[in-house]
Amino acid sequence: MSDLENLFEEARRSTPAPSAGLEARVLADALRLQPRPRALEGAGSLSYSAPVAPGFWAQLAGWFGGAGALAGMAAAGFAGLAVGYLQPAGLAGLTTLLLTDVAVAEAPVELMPGLDALLPEE
Amino acid sequence: MPRDTLSEAGDEALLVLYANGDPMAARALVARLLPPLLRYATRVLGDGAEAEDVVQEVLLRLWRIAPDWRPGGAQPRTWAYRVAGNLCTDRLRARRHHVPGGLAEAPEAPDPAPGVLARMAEGDRMAALDAALLALPERQRMAVVLRHIEGLPNPEIAEILGAGVEAAESLVARGKRALQAMLGGRKADLGYEGEER
Repeated sequence: MSDLENLFEEARRSTPAPSAGLEARVLADALRLQPRPRALEGAGSLSYSAPVAPGFWAQLAGWFGGAGALAGMAAAGFAGLAVGYLQPAGLAGLTTLLLTDVAVAEAPVELMPGLDALLPEE
Repeated sequence: MPRDTLSEAGDEALLVLYANGDPMAARALVARLLPPLLRYATRVLGDGAEAEDVVQEVLLRLWRIAPDWRPGGAQPRTWAYRVAGNLCTDRLRARRHHVPGGLAEAPEAPDPAPGVLARMAEGDRMAALDAALLALPERQRMAVVLRHIEGLPNPEIAEILGAGVEAAESLVARGKRALQAMLGGRKADLGYEGEER
């Protein structure tokens, strides 16, 4: 090995010692400029953008088959509330007809055949 | 990421981890990059304090660019050496423009004899090498340091210097010949008296 090669070899081994504050300053810069950590899936994975947990409305839309369906359900729900609250004309009479005993008594209908023939003989 | 896994990760992976918020990635990158960058800048500038400023600036720019780093291109080390070289060049140019007596630029190859010989007379081998390096034209100095002290391959040196591979090889060869001329034939002064190598 030549003299110069010896010098190069020695130079490779001699790294100037940084001042006391250099590493601290460099790491402080790194911390200050570092982006906020994203959620990582599992400890061993390299960085990638893990799926973000869906929000409440996104989950609800998923149950109803999408945002469009959810919107339709919401519209139907509001319509029902409006009908019940606002009582359009004619609705009150229909409600009375359906919900009172008088309506049932005035229109008896034999809907079920007699069951006596089916009872076991005693 | 666990510390032992960090040690196996490449520089590029560490940089991506840093950009994604890994709290240990910066420390691992600093441990890898700071010493060689400081060694390089100190030998190019001949001034430890200035070299530290350069290294801090290089790493500051690395932290800033980290979120936009695209894997598959230049390695972080290559990029960092290149930025360090450019910053050193700026400082050396600024020194020349502050030469007392006017804006005359210093010659590319000033007479190295006084500094180098003085160091050799003192028997300080490393100081003699450093003085001889500082006597080289800047790009030869960078090329020789990158090749023979940092141990980088010529294609990477070419990328760092923004030159073709042949141009980088030529810079290395010319720089080494110049060093040999300054330091050669001085075995006794360099502490080799009585040794045959």
